[in-house]
Amino acid sequence: MSFQILLNIFLAFLLMFLTSNYSPSGFVIGYLLGLLSIVALRRFFKTRLYIGRVWSVILLIFLFIKELILANISVLILVLRPKLQMQPAFFKYDTELKEDWEITLLSSLITLTPGTVVVHVSDDNKSLFIHVIDSNDINETIDSIKNSFEKAILEVSRS
Amino acid sequence: MKVNNVILQFTAKIVFFIIFFFAVHIFFAGHYTPGGGFVGGLVTASAIVLLVIAFDLNTVHKLLPINYIYVVAIGLILALGTAAISMFVEQPFFTHFFDYFYLPLFGKTSLHTAALFDLGVYLVVVGVTMTIIQTIGDDE
Repeated sequence: MSFQILLNIFLAFLLMFLTSNYSPSGFVIGYLLGLLSIVALRRFFKTRLYIGRVWSVILLIFLFIKELILANISVLILVLRPKLQMQPAFFKYDTELKEDWEITLLSSLITLTPGTVVVHVSDDNKSLFIHVIDSNDINETIDSIKNSFEKAILEVSRS
Repeated sequence: MKVNNVILQFTAKIVFFIIFFFAVHIFFAGHYTPGGGFVGGLVTASAIVLLVIAFDLNTVHKLLPINYIYVVAIGLILALGTAAISMFVEQPFFTHFFDYFYLPLFGKTSLHTAALFDLGVYLVVVGVTMTIIQTIGDDE
């Protein structure tokens, strides 16, 4: 992926030198042409195109904003209830993610959505220990994490 | 007791660069806007302290094998030398000079010897802060 970005920038500079147009507009034209040629020759690369990865990152950002708003509303409903009916609990969440940055990103996303806080990562980086504000629907929480955040991060990191 | 600090360590690696760049920006902004050598030095030292907190003293010393006592000495020599330049050209001690130069990439810039003096202050502040932290933090 990084090789493709480097190649694209190199092609942009190549076109700038060929047309002797040393301005930002020349760079943008060269970059777009390089992107076109890289898409045309996508069979030669071992990894997938970096454009797809950029698209998954944008999708992840929008997913995070959506989850943030929804989870804030649910915590607001919990707080405004006249009777406190919540059951705080800890649970262990087994993750499929391997890399350091993936685990950090997943933990940050889980912590930033209200109702759940990551308190510890196990020594082998295989499971997260999460504190949840309302344990009546733990399975639902696990499913929502698995199907939203973890899936999106896996989508970003898949080669 | 060893705990798994994967989140803290990964975040510290990335945030270190942000803090360091902010310190450089503050250092060069000191002539016209708030900032300067002292604040820049403290922010740089705090970036290194963040690494010390996330990892430990020995790891950071392997990463940045700097003797901070020498950094203090270099900073003092820079400040004194900048102040002493004026004595060689028949001017009073601590007279500063500036002029406009046309540098590549930057265009018209005014270079001022006060920036060199500020660099000396910066190095002294980084060196002193890191020496204090290392001396207190060592458990030998």
